[in-house]
Amino acid sequence: MQITPAQLSVRNVRKSFAGKAGDVCVLDDLSFDIKERDFVSIIGPSGCGKTTIFNIIAGLLEPDSGSLQFRGEEVESLRGRVGYMMQKDLLFPWRTVLGNVLLGLETRGVDRAEAEDKAREYLKDFGLAGFENAYPKTLSGGMRQRVALIRTLIMDPDILLLDEPFSALDYQTRLYLEGVLKDAVETYHKTVILVTHDIDEAVALSKRVVVLSGRPARVKIVHDIEIDAPSPIAARSDNRFSGYFHALCAELDIQTEKTS
Amino acid sequence: MPDTVPMAKRRALRRKQGSRFDTPLGRAVLQSLAVLVFFALWEFGVRLGWISAFLVGAPSGIFAYAAKIIASGELISDTWYTFFEAILGFIIGTIFGSLLGLALWYSVFVARLVEPFIVAINSVPKIALAPIVVLWFGTGLISKVALSVSLTAIVALIAAYQAAKDADPDLQSLLVSMGADKHQVFFKAVVPSTLPSMIATFRINIGFGLVGAVVGEFISSQHGLGHMIYTASSLYDLNTVWVGLFTLMIMGFVLYYVIEIIERTILPWKQASTVQQVQV
Ligand SMILES: Nc1ncnc2c1ncn2[C@@H]1O[C@H](COP(=O)(O)OP(=O)(O)O)[C@@H](O)[C@H]1O
Ligand SMILES: [Mg+2]
Repeated sequence: MQITPAQLSVRNVRKSFAGKAGDVCVLDDLSFDIKERDFVSIIGPSGCGKTTIFNIIAGLLEPDSGSLQFRGEEVESLRGRVGYMMQKDLLFPWRTVLGNVLLGLETRGVDRAEAEDKAREYLKDFGLAGFENAYPKTLSGGMRQRVALIRTLIMDPDILLLDEPFSALDYQTRLYLEGVLKDAVETYHKTVILVTHDIDEAVALSKRVVVLSGRPARVKIVHDIEIDAPSPIAARSDNRFSGYFHALCAELDIQTEKTS
Repeated sequence: MPDTVPMAKRRALRRKQGSRFDTPLGRAVLQSLAVLVFFALWEFGVRLGWISAFLVGAPSGIFAYAAKIIASGELISDTWYTFFEAILGFIIGTIFGSLLGLALWYSVFVARLVEPFIVAINSVPKIALAPIVVLWFGTGLISKVALSVSLTAIVALIAAYQAAKDADPDLQSLLVSMGADKHQVFFKAVVPSTLPSMIATFRINIGFGLVGAVVGEFISSQHGLGHMIYTASSLYDLNTVWVGLFTLMIMGFVLYYVIEIIERTILPWKQASTVQQVQV
């Protein structure tokens, strides 16, 4: 195995939340590495703390202990350097498509005209030309999530954190957007961490899949996915696909037997 | 599809329920008709002696008096006076209250600290302050404006604070993850998401602005519709009272629609959804 230095290292992170019956430990000594231009999926039982990890990486929550290292340097969080995309598209209803895409650049104080040119270009590349002045509520779910993806990519983040971004969409739209995502990640050379409850999606998209145990979350196993398909749909017809799929199912099944 | 009524027939049925008056013009005709019938019945009641003209007035007298004071310019000047007090009170109170309410979003500590005081102030019937306000600010314009401000500011404050608290935390988190600071979160997420309820507050506060102005005029004034109504009713001049009341009604009515126009300009993104109604 070749040794590539980690882009992001999560080291011994612990996090508890105050609950009614005392503290609930959600992350207990969690560690994993993300390489440069990695595409890692995280799967695990719901409520095990996947969103919590993202919130810690994005700087929305502070861990109780543990650390984050970015390219070997200790950092508090990656706030401002990540593109965080959530299950809800979280488009701002009072902003047009263009306004939503510009949100991050505005926050950064990028020159307006320059930002707008860039935004229009992205919208065109993603097939949304002509929708610049539409309000989000007039768009379909798939289009809205595409706008959210553009809003994330246009900031040129070091790492994309995608928290079940397609789970609210129908299967066809999801397949289509998986393709859009995969192409975009390759075009813009991005590192991606994808949380999904969809094993099929994890195998089709990722280079590695991290399986978490139930609460408190620990890394149970990491599977390397060695499918080199041109698209997520093609990946599904690769002859190794079902092997990975069943292996991951088994990991999760053992999990559910244990906890229930 | 044997169990469904054909589409065309269903459409026809639905149209029938709304009737062919269900157009803007049709509704306006029906509404005007209702007003006319109301005044006609009133007038006839008075003529036939069923209604006492002394205690409730009569439409003919009301219109005659209105025509007279419109011609003399008296009605216009009184209306303008009250309008000015109410609008000034509304604007100052709403802006002041809204800014204060929004500012409370910045500090949870300060917000919790002042919350009981806000509740306490809100629970005082502000009208009860009217005599003191007149004592403090005199019998002129300022006391009426002050009364309107006292009524509108607290409503705006509570509404703005509540709306700021209710702003979607996920939108705020998203901005924070993008590296936004507190001010950016405030101006990009919190303030815009409070606008719909701010505008709803405008509607309520227009009414309160008028209440403040009129009550102020009741207590002591030489001008305005409140003054007109108050003096006329003490002289049992019911027709004059009605002229004042109807003018106030028209003023409130017009202001309501002005706010609707403001709403449409400020919240274009809200428009698409307001038209649809569920068909039952
Ligand atoms: N802010 C919070 N306060 C208290 N408990 C929380 C909070 N956020 C998450 N939790 C709890 O932590 C656990 C993990 O949540 P989450 O990270 O959202 O799980 P996942 O994304 O894996 O479904 C859940 O049981 C949830 O109830
Ligand atoms: Mg989650």
